[in-house]
Amino acid sequence: MSESIILKKCGVRFTPPALIVTYTNDVGKLHRRTMPLRNFNKNSGVSRIVQEMKENKRHEKYLRHMSPLQLEKLIMILHDRLNGISLDECVMRNKGLDTVDPEEDLNKLDDVTLKRKKEIMDATFEKNRKKREDPDFKYDVEVDFEQGAIESCEWDSDKESDEEF
Amino acid sequence: MEDASLPSYDPKGDANETKIKIICLGDSAVGKSKLVERFLMDGYQPQQLSTYALTLFKHKTQVGDQEVHVDFWDTAGQERFKSMHPSYYHQAHACILVFDVTRKVTYKNLPSWFTELRHYRPEIPCLCAANKIDVDYSITKKSFNFAKKHKMPFYFVSASDGTNVVKCFRDAIKAALAYKSNSTDFMDEIMKELDNMTLDGDSISSSGFDATEQEEDKESAAKS
Repeated sequence: MSESIILKKCGVRFTPPALIVTYTNDVGKLHRRTMPLRNFNKNSGVSRIVQEMKENKRHEKYLRHMSPLQLEKLIMILHDRLNGISLDECVMRNKGLDTVDPEEDLNKLDDVTLKRKKEIMDATFEKNRKKREDPDFKYDVEVDFEQGAIESCEWDSDKESDEEF
Repeated sequence: MEDASLPSYDPKGDANETKIKIICLGDSAVGKSKLVERFLMDGYQPQQLSTYALTLFKHKTQVGDQEVHVDFWDTAGQERFKSMHPSYYHQAHACILVFDVTRKVTYKNLPSWFTELRHYRPEIPCLCAANKIDVDYSITKKSFNFAKKHKMPFYFVSASDGTNVVKCFRDAIKAALAYKSNSTDFMDEIMKELDNMTLDGDSISSSGFDATEQEEDKESAAKS
């Protein structure tokens, strides 16, 4: 089926666990679809479930309209909730995952969280990106930043700065 | 001495063809892969070596009358252990040390990367790339002391809009070539000696570069 659908809303149901989306089809009629997450329990790995849902033939035509980040977020909320975390806290945790704290050491994150942070940064990367197809694309872009008043970066003058800087 | 499935960068080579290894170093998500991809555009064939948690990008280029095969080594998650396997550094001819100008911690971690690099490769050229300047160009008015202190060539780059990526990588290739043609690292000297013993004297003359010219290259790479 190749009908073009537009996703309107997405959400989750906790018992039994499911993803729910509303969408309009090509004639503009509003529909709702519930996608049960079978075998989902508190020990399920988030990235594995995300992958399974993406690959599921029956859900694929709806989920491909959802950003991977959004999908991960919803599944993460379900996962946290099943692990006894309060709904408010689940949402808070998710908000934290949507921003990149400049002070945070990403080397210390688990795979799923690191992947999400990278997706957030990828959004900026794509926004500023000059692609080969762009009319003003140049392969070798050289800019000399040496001239002009140069002040030293405050990162060098922290208390924590040691001999190394 | 090294695993058979990792490529070797034999110190000798014929006059018109040479193989070099350039490694990328720095924290998770500073944009190391993105920088290599931007430099190579579509002309690359990445090779995943998942057992070693690394990606190899092979690149062929011409420098003067030399055909140069460059392997860019990129980490695939191994950097999260704040340390790389010694094989990552083994036989490397140059290093591009990357941090993310939007995240201070990635700058603060440079000394530990640099210390590890120097432990394995005391003398290879190291270039410093400050990535993601497209996020806020005002950062380019600042100076970063770390690179200056260690006398590294410093580049403000953006893998996203392409600023200075090509320049930085071309300089890295030049520096790697210069290093290879008159390497003074102790281990390399030993490797050459070992080669001497098994080969006949004539075939091990160095790679045929003009040593003076290479020295100039090294200098110009360091100045830029």
